[in-house]
This record gives sequence, structure tokens and C-alpha cells, in this order.
Amino acid sequence: MSEELILRTENVCKSFNGIQVLKNVNLEIKKGEIHALMGENGAGKSTIIKIITGVYTKDDGEIYVDGKHVNINSRQDAAAAGISVIYQELSLVPDLTVTENIFLGHEIMKKGLPDRKEMRRQVQALIDKYGFIIQPDAVVASMGMAQRQMTEILKALSTEAKLLIMDEPTTSLSASETEQLFVTMEGLRAHGTSILYISHRLEEIYRVTDRLTIMRNGEVVGVVDSKTVEPDTVTTLMIGHELEKTGARVPNINENHYIEVKDLSLGNLLHDINFKAYSGEILGIGGLVGSGRTELVSCIYGAIKTYKGSITLDGKPVSKNVATNIRNGFGMVPEDRRTQGLFPQLSILRNITISSYDRLAFGGAIVNGKAESEHAEKAIADYDVRPALKKLPVQNLSGGNQQKVVLGRWLSRDVDVLILDEPTVGVDVGVKAELYGYMRKLADKGAIIIMVSSDLAELTDVSDRVLVLHNGTIFQEFRDHSATQQAVLLASSGVAAKEGDVL
Amino acid sequence: MRRPYKASAFFNVLINLYYELNGVKALKISQKLTRKLITLGLIILLSVIFTVTAPGFMKLRNIQEIFRVAAYTGIICVGVSFVLIGGGIDLSSGGIICFTGIVACRLACMNVPMPVVVLVALVMGAACGFLNGWVITRFHLNDFITTLATGFVFTGFGLVALLKDSKGAIVSQAIKNKGFLLLGKHVSGFYYIAIAWVILVIISWFILTRTRYGLHVYAMGSNAKSSEMSGINVNRMKISTFTICGACCAVGAVFTVAYQQTAYLSLGSAMGFNAVAACVVGGVMLGGGRGDTAGAFLGAIFMTLVNNGMYKYGLDTSWQYVFQGAVILIAIIADAAFGVLTARKFRNQADAAENSENALEGGKTE
Repeated sequence: MSEELILRTENVCKSFNGIQVLKNVNLEIKKGEIHALMGENGAGKSTIIKIITGVYTKDDGEIYVDGKHVNINSRQDAAAAGISVIYQELSLVPDLTVTENIFLGHEIMKKGLPDRKEMRRQVQALIDKYGFIIQPDAVVASMGMAQRQMTEILKALSTEAKLLIMDEPTTSLSASETEQLFVTMEGLRAHGTSILYISHRLEEIYRVTDRLTIMRNGEVVGVVDSKTVEPDTVTTLMIGHELEKTGARVPNINENHYIEVKDLSLGNLLHDINFKAYSGEILGIGGLVGSGRTELVSCIYGAIKTYKGSITLDGKPVSKNVATNIRNGFGMVPEDRRTQGLFPQLSILRNITISSYDRLAFGGAIVNGKAESEHAEKAIADYDVRPALKKLPVQNLSGGNQQKVVLGRWLSRDVDVLILDEPTVGVDVGVKAELYGYMRKLADKGAIIIMVSSDLAELTDVSDRVLVLHNGTIFQEFRDHSATQQAVLLASSGVAAKEGDVL
Repeated sequence: MRRPYKASAFFNVLINLYYELNGVKALKISQKLTRKLITLGLIILLSVIFTVTAPGFMKLRNIQEIFRVAAYTGIICVGVSFVLIGGGIDLSSGGIICFTGIVACRLACMNVPMPVVVLVALVMGAACGFLNGWVITRFHLNDFITTLATGFVFTGFGLVALLKDSKGAIVSQAIKNKGFLLLGKHVSGFYYIAIAWVILVIISWFILTRTRYGLHVYAMGSNAKSSEMSGINVNRMKISTFTICGACCAVGAVFTVAYQQTAYLSLGSAMGFNAVAACVVGGVMLGGGRGDTAGAFLGAIFMTLVNNGMYKYGLDTSWQYVFQGAVILIAIIADAAFGVLTARKFRNQADAAENSENALEGGKTE
């Protein structure tokens, strides 16, 4: 029974404008398994998913659900076949309760009025069955991200979904919330529901999935058992060649050029923070989401002005005005590029040049068209933005390329202090390595780089020094690449590990 | 690298639309220009229809009249475009027109010299706009409802400023100030208001597309939070767009009062919504980040043309409303369809470019 397939695609092909993006894709998902799908951006992951869920129509090939041949031409077809997507941007109405959200659009009616009791009973039954930690009457706005995701999953289950598709569900979750989600997923598996899980994070693949399909250039290049496969095998399959090992870098630290944070406090969020970030090094800041990381770097950048204490650059106070700081060589890649970093409708060009018109405009006021074009073209070439069409609205780029644009905005004006908040969320492995390369190069040129990250590998590998925040204070400092993933993880939850301790 | 289009541009648009509808890769032509040529096409189409069917439409006198009336809406549209592109909305323009127009009329009747009247009106209009922007940013209010409210306030001030007799009845004043009335006149058929309009459109187009200030307006409209993180003072920018809008309303009001030779109660009524509608018809996106004043220029002509044609047909006023509304609906549906088409085109471009590069890297092109 468990060996039966819930979903099978047979030689699915798809072309856009005569360019083939899917070549004979055969994807097989068993009943009651958590199946991972990996691949670089543009490998065809999202295209195959959009075909399965009825967003795109396939050019050729067959799809079988539960052994039966199905035609999926719309989202409704997909839903009818029992395929449901848990969206990254959650689709819940924040002001309604869990029950109301779950039955939104297909309420159970009794005498022309919604039957609240019955709906609540059914939701409670689902919650009990899968062991979710969630209240049917809780208002969505009052819940954490993990619980919202559970609601989203319940909503899918209430329509009798047999296959859930989760696209990077953990990006907005903290470590403990992620763990909650994994437990939830395991519960679903135990009840025979299949999950197609898309993630860039290898450790998650190991933690929770059963099998792993890897795609490259529109083809399936491997199906492996995700419990036993070697990480190197996965990355090799994904990118076609071995990833360059990022060995320890010897930072060229200039102690005379630094940012100093002294006795910084911010409401309940930050308490007595003291540290220095030197020119030439990449300073990593770790900790759980909510530990005050983002607030700390926002204070340095000037985006938060209400802090107590002092922030100085080479002994001189740092302004509380973002524009002044940018003029003085500051730059920031914010946590959520879509809501804080990008101008979606504006062109790639404008997204790169927007903070540099002090240089690209005559008298700082009238735009110098030639200079602005050259500036953008150089950045597009230097940071390998694809497609290299400077007039294309930036909302059409993939996540990785959008991030290159945001990073390019600052790198192209030779920033002196660069603050990065979660610089590689939703960015595939290949592009990640590129971004790290640019950061290192900038550090070598003598810039001060402060990087906030939840990605442990990134934090321990890329940073020269790591500060771990816990409940708004610096809990531990790891010097000279001494940070290990386990140690940082422990420190994030407030447990001190011995330096260099390998668990 | 300039785009290669000239006389054939309009035909390119048609070909493009055909291609896009049929899923074929489209010709290279800028999306902004395509959008304008669509409005222009609609204007030409309407003109042809009216020329053939409405007697007296193609008369020189009527064309001059169209431009005069369009200039009134158009000047307001210039100001409203700044607010819309910056991601806001201003419905108070009618109120500002009423207030500044009536005050200008009173001053003109007191024989205050024309430049002083204009200056006072401009400062008042700008002040009203500034107030809008300040209230919205200071108290974090919603633009729509705030400007709806302040619009009433400004209209009320205008009514207060009207001359009244001892019993409180409104006295209609005829302006006899020669210097001021000059503003309502024309040179060889070109009304001063139309000339002012064209100049304002050119200046504002330059400001929006070629200056740092203008780019920041687009950035703010596209994403206010990103703008803040990029060092743009969003509150100050927002106040400035409302101030510009208020000043433009004053300009429109002064010219119109000079032409009518008096100011009356209903001055500027319904202009708040009309100007926004004309901008949207001209391709300025509600919500911000897209469009420009050249588009708003065409939008204003289009709206005036519709009204004028209805009038020439001798249609009943009630039916004029129905048709005007219907035409605005059609125009914005076309705008939405265009938005979908261009989005698809861009998406395809991005997909194609990304995939072709992947294919090349993989060493396989097919």
C-alpha cells in the first residue's frame, strides 16, 4: 500500500518562446512520503510545480494521480485531484479565526446561515487527528508564523488534499518553529498524506524528507534516498560540478577603522550591547528570529533612531539619518528584499542606481542619463544579474537575481560599511557562493561588513567572527572562525558551549 | 542607445498587440510609449468618429474650445499625477480650486494687480496641499479619506470667502480687472491656459523622469519601505507631492476664473475625481510607481473629447453622464488588459533569458 504512487508525471515537457525548460520530467511521489525537490534557480522546479498545480499547461507528457490519468488545466483541476499548495506568502485572512479561515469560501450552511458549531467541530477533529498545537477559535493575526502555517495546512487537509506542496516553508520561521513544522509534517506522513517539499537547506532535507529528486537544466538528474545520500553528491548533482570549499579566510583587519557600539539599548529588545566591527572583516551576527538582530543593525544604519547608547565610526558619532549615512558610505541589504529592498515595478537599472544619484546626477539633481546607464550596466555585468536587461522591471527576476540587484546597488558605489540582513534567503547554492565572493572581495578592500544570518552554515563559514544574540544581549562571541554550527545553535538558545566544541 | 521608432511607431504598436495576443515574441518597443500610443489611438479614433458623425466638431473654434477645457483638467492632472505616482491619492483638488479661485476673484475685483493675485492663489493652493500632506504623514492617515475630508473643508472656505449682501445672499461679482482678465484670453487661437498647460506638462515630465526628485517620487510609489531604507525621506517627499498638486490646482483655478470672468459656488466641483480618472485613463497607475504627466496630458484630452462629443451630439445631460462613465470604464479596462499583456511579456523575456543561459551552460541548446 505504501509503495503506491500518489503522483507520477511521465515525460512532461514545457517550452517558453521556443526554449525548452522541462525535458521529459518524470517525477514519482509515493503515498505517505515526504519527497524533497531540489535544484538551482531556473532548473525547472517551479515550472514543474506550476504544471502540477494547474498554473501552466504542459506541452507534452502525462500526469497520473493515484494511478489514474488526469488532465490538469487549472488550479481547480489540481484541487479536485487532491493537490494543494501551501503558499510561501500565506493566504490567510488575519482578522478571522482559524475555523473561519479554513472554511472560507465553502462554509457549511444551515438554514441559510453558516453553521459555526459544525465547522468548529470539524476543525477540532482535524486538529486532534493530526495533533496540531492550535486553537480553532484563535484569531490568525494573534498567532505566530508556524501556527499560521499549520492553519494553512489544515485548510488544505479540510479539502481532502492527498498531496501537499510546500515551497520553502521555513524561510520565515525560527529554529523552534521550523522544528514544530517538521513534527507536523511527520504527523501528516503518518496519516498517509504525501508532501512535496522544496527547500534550499540541506539540513532540512536530511531532517525531514524520505526521498529527494534533483533537477538541473529542466531535467531530473537524480532520485536519491535522502537519509543516506552524501551532501557532496547532492550539490554535485545540483550544480554539475563540485562546490568550491570555502576555507577559512585570513581577514586583513585594520584596527583604526571600525564601528563601535557602546551600551546600546532599545526598549525591551536590546540591552547593553557593546562591540566593535573592524574594517577588513566580516562580522556575523547570529541568534534566533526575535533576538534583536535586525533591530541592532537597523540602529547602526539609522533606520531605528530611538535607541540609547552610542554608535561611532572611527570615534565620530554615526548619524541617525539614513540618507546622511548612505552619503558617508553606508549600505544595507534588508531582511526582506521584496518589502524593504526592491522597487518591484521599477527597472533593474533604477533599482541599482536609486541610492547613487549623488554621483549620477548633475549637481545632485538632474539625472545624468549616460552615467546612470553605464553605472547600471557595469553593476549588471560585475554581479552577473540575469537576464542582463537593464529596463526589465525587477519583479520579474528570480530571488537570487533580485538579491544581486540589491547587493549591486551598494557594491557598485563602493560602500565602506555594508550591513546585510539574511543576505541569501531564497537564493540557490550557486548564487550564494557568488554573493559570498563579492562580500569577501569588499572586505578585502577594507570595508566594514556586518552580516545577520539564520543560516548556520553561512554564519560559521562566511563570517570571520560571530556574535550570537540571545534575548537582546550578546550571549557569546566566537573569534577567528571558532564558531561551529552546533555551538552557535546552542548559544542562540542561551546555552553556552565550550569554544570549538564539536558535538 | 536610443530606440528606433518614428512614424511607424503606431503601427508597431498594433503589430505588437497582435503578436502578444498570439503569443509570438514581440517587437522591441518601449512599454511606456506603447501605453501612450494606445491612448493617442483612442483619441484619434474618437476624433474620427465625431468628425464624421457630429456636425461642428472639426471646426477650428471647437478645437480651440476642446484645448481650453482640456487644459483646465490637464493642469490639475499634472499635480494629481505627482501624488498618484508617489503612491498617494488626492481628492481635494476640487476644494482647492474652489477656495483659491474664489479668493482670486475677490482680489481681482478689488483691483489687486494680476501678478499679486496669481502669487497669492499659488501660495494658498500650495499651502492647502502642504496641509494635506502634513496631516496625512503626521497622523499616519489614509490619503483617500483625508483628502475627501479636507476637500470639503477647502470648498467650505471658498464659500465663506464669497461676497455676500447684507442678507447673506451670494452676490455674483463680475471681474473688471483688465490685467487679470488677460489670463482668460488667447493669442492667435491659443488660450493662455492651454499654453500654460503644455509648459507645465513639459516641466513636470522633465522633473519626474530626469531629476533625482522625480525618480524618488517613482521609488516612493513603488515601495515606500524600500525608499526609506534607500535614504529617501518619504514623509517629506509625500508632503512635497501634495504641495505641488495644490499649486497646480491654484494655477488651473486662476485661469478658469479669468476666462469665466467670475467665480461661483460650484467652481471645481467633481474635479477631484475627474482629474484622478483622467490620469488613470492616461496610464498613471493608482497605487503608484507607473505613468507620467505626458500620459496624463493625453488622458485629459481624451476625457474632454468625450464630453465635447456628447455635447455636439446634443445628448441629454443625464445620458452624457452615462456615456462618460462608460467610456472611463472602457479606458481603464483597456489599461488593465495592457498591464496584463506587458507583465506577461516581461515574464516571458525573463524566463527566456534565464533558461537560454542555463541551456547554454548545460552545453545543450535543444
